[in-house]
Amino acid sequence: MHATSFLLPTRFGHGGLGGCYAPETLMQPLLDLEEAFRKALDDSSFQAELKSELRHFVGRPTPLTSAPRLAAKLGLRDLYLKREDLTHTGAHKINNALAQALLARRMGKTQIIAETGAGQHGVAAAAACARLGLRCTVYMGVVDMARQAPNVARMRLFGTEVVPVEAGQGTLKEAVNEALRAWAARCDKAHYILGSALGPHPFPTMVRTFQTVIGEEARAQVLEQAGALPDSVIACAGGGSNGLGLLVPFLGDALHRFAVEAGGHGPALGEHAARLDGGRMGVLHGCKTLLLQDEHGHTAETASISAGLDYPALGPELAALALDEKIEVLRASDDQALEAAKWLCESEGILPALESSHALALLPELAKRGFTTVLLGLSGRGDKDLSTYQSKLGI
Amino acid sequence: MNKLLPFIMAGDPSLESLPRLLAEAKALGIEALEIGLPHSDPIADGPVLQAAAHRAIQRGATPLRVVETLAGLTESPDLILFTYLNPLLQIGAERLIGLLRLTPVKALLVVDLPDSEEPEFEARLRAAGYPIIPLLSPTTDLDRAKGLLERRPDPGGDHPFAQRFAYVVARLGVTGTGGAPDLAPVRERVAALQSISDRPLAVGFGLSDPQALAEVRAMGATPVIGSALVQALAAGVALETFLHTRLG
Ligand SMILES: Cc1ncc(COP(=O)(O)O)c(C=O)c1O
Repeated sequence: MHATSFLLPTRFGHGGLGGCYAPETLMQPLLDLEEAFRKALDDSSFQAELKSELRHFVGRPTPLTSAPRLAAKLGLRDLYLKREDLTHTGAHKINNALAQALLARRMGKTQIIAETGAGQHGVAAAAACARLGLRCTVYMGVVDMARQAPNVARMRLFGTEVVPVEAGQGTLKEAVNEALRAWAARCDKAHYILGSALGPHPFPTMVRTFQTVIGEEARAQVLEQAGALPDSVIACAGGGSNGLGLLVPFLGDALHRFAVEAGGHGPALGEHAARLDGGRMGVLHGCKTLLLQDEHGHTAETASISAGLDYPALGPELAALALDEKIEVLRASDDQALEAAKWLCESEGILPALESSHALALLPELAKRGFTTVLLGLSGRGDKDLSTYQSKLGI
Repeated sequence: MNKLLPFIMAGDPSLESLPRLLAEAKALGIEALEIGLPHSDPIADGPVLQAAAHRAIQRGATPLRVVETLAGLTESPDLILFTYLNPLLQIGAERLIGLLRLTPVKALLVVDLPDSEEPEFEARLRAAGYPIIPLLSPTTDLDRAKGLLERRPDPGGDHPFAQRFAYVVARLGVTGTGGAPDLAPVRERVAALQSISDRPLAVGFGLSDPQALAEVRAMGATPVIGSALVQALAAGVALETFLHTRLG
């Protein structure tokens, strides 16, 4: 028997963001996916398997690292880094990719489709598929393939087919378009592992659920190491999966929560990926959320030095939390992010992903506003960005 | 029975030629025609319609210009506006209804709008005489189809085909000519749907050659011809030249 209706909430916040704006062909697969997800959450054997894989394959729990030299440099008393960069494959994306791959196998799917921007989700999906013996196809914009070339090679080494997407800007938005089309054609055999808290229901809820391990661990670790909660928690936001993963477990706490979008190289439409100020409510890729668009309802171009933040829609749950004033959304420019990456390298010996550098870039602003103890989500490592750092920082 | 439901992309080859194309279609006896509103992110379309939408947008075929071009046309088949949701949401229901009043548009087919998601928006359109056409795909089982047909009901026999039909998606995947669908399972699905509803059915996705169109007619359904026609028009083939072997 097929699932006939969604049982989990499909909308977020007072504005009713999210939803399931999918073509009819994908509706039954989405209904079935929600059902499989709910059942898996209630199944202790799934939970045990996921936990074991997260520990022995992914390397969880990831450390919480105190960063005293960087804190002192930026005028903070304490800075703690949640080290998703130390997961296997080097970013938080593996938490979700692995969990969804396990779910897909439970559903009897033999093929996996994924999109990727920075390549971190693609690499994570490719690794999870190799481990579980699933066939994987990843769609990636041609511009992203060029700027994140090491990740393309890693995916191919893991036996994944990487399909170049030429359309439009050749970045993440087009990769998602193509992945959705591929899923519609193969939804009988394939599961689509969406890489961020985006897309039609149940993806935003499912991806956030699989990422909150970040914040749950971090909250316990900071209490243990510092003896108290910080006064602020901050993460970068592309679609919003590492941001929600870190921040949601802190929603009940009296502290300030920040998410940082890509400010790109200017304030005009097309020069950034800052959806909170620049976006209007709209529907893209199956959900209603803050969307960068022109006056005709066509999706706008975006720009960011970081492929993983270069996307026109803010995930619906994060957008709802921002509109309902539970999370404050800020932006950092390309130049600020580059500068911030250098600080972390020089002060702490850690090379951050360009995405994560956007969160680092806002630390001086937090210090200026009087915050003293900050927990920062270091969503990924910067090896994939070496060529950008080399050319932009003149090393 | 309606013999053919053609699809063309507004603005491709050009907006200026659209009134003439529609007049030609009407002169050929075409009763209803789907008109695509070019969108930046057509997630249910294959390469041919993606490229057509892209060309149309490059040439300035914005939603408002398309609707303005259709305003006042009398020499036209009944039109079904084939579109994605976001441009409509940005225009807003009231303004959209006002704009459509002046055009031959009789119904909408909104690819990414399940009937549960914008009930107020949809109810206002329906009340104003613009029903949204239900889509039935290979993943839609008969129980689900029943629900979809009830929630987007047939307005009844005194209404034109354009407002009454349900669209049967012939195959998994996106629009396009690549790989003609295996029509045997489509025949079964159409027969099953005919057993639960008297509503006219159109069958589309992947149909192109006259033989496939004839097979769909033999099922008692109306074939849709989309990508193949758009490709021909873009290559400068005249509407009549392309359609004369396909009119049934
Ligand atoms: C290291 C890293 N951080 C952050 C992101 C942004 O995605 P999200 O907002 O879903 O965490 C990406 C996306 O590719 C990434 O690779």
